[in-house]
Amino acid sequence: MSPLPDAVAWSAAAARHDALFAALTPGARIGLVAREAPTSMLLWEASDAGIHAREANYPGFFDCGADILLSADVEAMAAIHAAVDGQLFPLLRAGIRSGDIICYMLSRRCELEVQGFEDLLDALGFAFMGACR
Amino acid sequence: MKPGELKLPYLFQPGQLGRFKIKNRIKYGACCVSNYNTRDGYITEREFARMRVIARTGCGMITNQGAYPDPLGEGKAYFRQVAIFDDKFLPQFERIAADIKEQGAMAIQQILHAGRYGGIDLGYCIQPSDVPQTLPHFRPPKVMTKAEIRDCIRQHAEAANRAIRAGFDGTEVTSFMGYLLANFNSRFTNQRSDEYGGSIENRGRFMRELIDGIKQATPDNPLVVRLNGAELMDKWGGNSEDECFELMRQAADAGVDMISVTVGWQEAPESSIGRDIPPGYWNYLSERAKKTCPDTVITFGNRLPDPRMADQCLRDGIFDFWEVCRPLLADPDLIHKAAEDRLDETRRCIGSLNCLSRLFRDLPYTCTMNPALGHEVEPEYQVTPATVKKKIMIIGAGPAGMECAITAAKRGHDVTVFDKAERVGGNLYAYAMNDLARPDDLLSVISHYEVVAKRLGIEIRLNTEVHAKFMRSVLHQYDVCVIAAGASADRSQYANMEGAELMVDALDVAHGRVAAGKRVVVVGGGKVGLAIAEALRKNQGAEVTVVERNKRIAGDVKPSFKWRHASWVEELGIPCLTSSRLVKVTKDSVTVRDGKGIETILPADTVIFADGAKPAHDLFHEFEWMVDELHGVGDAMIPRGLEQAIQEGFRLGVRL
Repeated sequence: MSPLPDAVAWSAAAARHDALFAALTPGARIGLVAREAPTSMLLWEASDAGIHAREANYPGFFDCGADILLSADVEAMAAIHAAVDGQLFPLLRAGIRSGDIICYMLSRRCELEVQGFEDLLDALGFAFMGACR
Repeated sequence: MKPGELKLPYLFQPGQLGRFKIKNRIKYGACCVSNYNTRDGYITEREFARMRVIARTGCGMITNQGAYPDPLGEGKAYFRQVAIFDDKFLPQFERIAADIKEQGAMAIQQILHAGRYGGIDLGYCIQPSDVPQTLPHFRPPKVMTKAEIRDCIRQHAEAANRAIRAGFDGTEVTSFMGYLLANFNSRFTNQRSDEYGGSIENRGRFMRELIDGIKQATPDNPLVVRLNGAELMDKWGGNSEDECFELMRQAADAGVDMISVTVGWQEAPESSIGRDIPPGYWNYLSERAKKTCPDTVITFGNRLPDPRMADQCLRDGIFDFWEVCRPLLADPDLIHKAAEDRLDETRRCIGSLNCLSRLFRDLPYTCTMNPALGHEVEPEYQVTPATVKKKIMIIGAGPAGMECAITAAKRGHDVTVFDKAERVGGNLYAYAMNDLARPDDLLSVISHYEVVAKRLGIEIRLNTEVHAKFMRSVLHQYDVCVIAAGASADRSQYANMEGAELMVDALDVAHGRVAAGKRVVVVGGGKVGLAIAEALRKNQGAEVTVVERNKRIAGDVKPSFKWRHASWVEELGIPCLTSSRLVKVTKDSVTVRDGKGIETILPADTVIFADGAKPAHDLFHEFEWMVDELHGVGDAMIPRGLEQAIQEGFRLGVRL
């Protein structure tokens, strides 16, 4: 059984936060994997028709086709399951800050900016596209 | 001995590293690359002038900023970082080494290969393994082959040899804060399956070979290695503290002469050196390093800014040398002041991390507290005796006014400061009173001004408001008037809103002149509004909502501190309604309209306005024909923040 949330619920979560995804250009992708068993991946994918979610095989960081990849540990994934119908982004942000979720940048900063990731990254806690701590 | 040396006997006792005797227990740490140099690695006159100041700080050991050792620039982390990969750079290092040694200090050259954070001019960075970045501004990784690892070690050894030939006494390699050495050491970034990865023994192999290579190249000269006592990356699969100390033991066994204990990686999800971390917080790591490596000299200084604390640590055997950098950026005379028992005059590093914030935006570093930093080469920034002695009145005892006052007084001017408040500090005092991080750091700025002003004989007339009538009463008594009266709330955007008169000004609440109720709406999610909202929530338990018209909060907050406000707001449960505006205020509620035009009514006993300020321009018009020279500084010109207030106050003070 996949440790990832249901794709339909994941799609609905994006729809509830549509403002964060509004600037994404078609083809932009955000992946979610379980840190302990990253065999499959849940993708948010931007297209002309909006944001859709789908599950896909996870072939590793550099072949997965995502621009950013969220890697959640077991506890964080359970929390994501619980929050997928509610306050998902505050949870993701808190998880990244606490270290329970790692957010990998698989595209360069300039590419992420062009693809319209600024609002989304801001919502994930990356102030000013990567302020130091 | 000087009086302060008697009070801090451990700090000022001589030490030794290898064959080198050191005059005291203070090591200037290469905490920051300056970004003052050329894009191809040559040192500029700006840097030489800065290094002359560092050489004269009084430290017994001085580490010159990290130079990258490879011709490709894979190790280069900052646009204007110094290079040491070729003998063509020797003359510039000779000049710096000579200057340091002329001041009686031991000269150390740091070799900085940034690894995961490097390759700034390239399309990639090099790492032990294919681990993607977690911050978007770094370069995508390229895995090092074994041949490249050997080449990299050779480049480090050659760079070290070059530094010694230039006249340095020793060298230093650094893993701080997540550079190449750390990348090999850490489980997070080293996932190799060959002899350089896997077990901690294998992960430490690169470090041991690096130490061995440099020691062979420079057998008579000490080698310092900067190693994490805590990576703060363990939740991401990085090293535990136990593993960090095992790696320290490996370094000691490999023959390193000194270990500099550090904390954190740049991308670590935890704060390590910001002003939200209390001084002394990380001392336990140094204490453990001393126990782990009893025969190796230990140096430490993360978040340890005070010489008195350092003296106590030396007394307690927590480390052998105090490693200090940022406090000396803020006040290059700190050690001299400590020696002369004048620490009350210290201009303390407040941990704003302006230095790093600028570096990560590819700008030369500057310091909030030290306006001359980075401008040492410019005569315009020197405090020189005034050609014409003037009588100067300064209106406003906030940071801009006080900075101008002490700078002008140092030049020989006769200075009087007026302020309508009952204390020095202006709105900085109010901000400090509402600050959840380290109010003490901010208050230290005020006490510095009070002490120095008194020693310079500056008259401060508090509870004295300067207006046109007052000016007429002192007509012709002053040659110069400086308006540093700050700013006031600018409510013009809400001029026609129903109930606007019910709003109270943020600064009145911050100063304690107005008490807030239990249900509060703060209009404006900038630094003032957020500080008040956080303080009311945490200290008084008020139910607070922030209304911000922009789509993000903290728009005027220094980049290095935005995340802190964002996390406080979340931790304290303060709702922030962004892209929203007030449309109506009543005695017990506000109506807020969001970006989609939807209106919400919020209960509110107090509505605090913190959404805009206007400068004190009226005073300029009123005083224009009353005094020979009329100037303005700080928020009285354009409302901004502490850094700009201090910089402008100084810049005006040196040219009056």
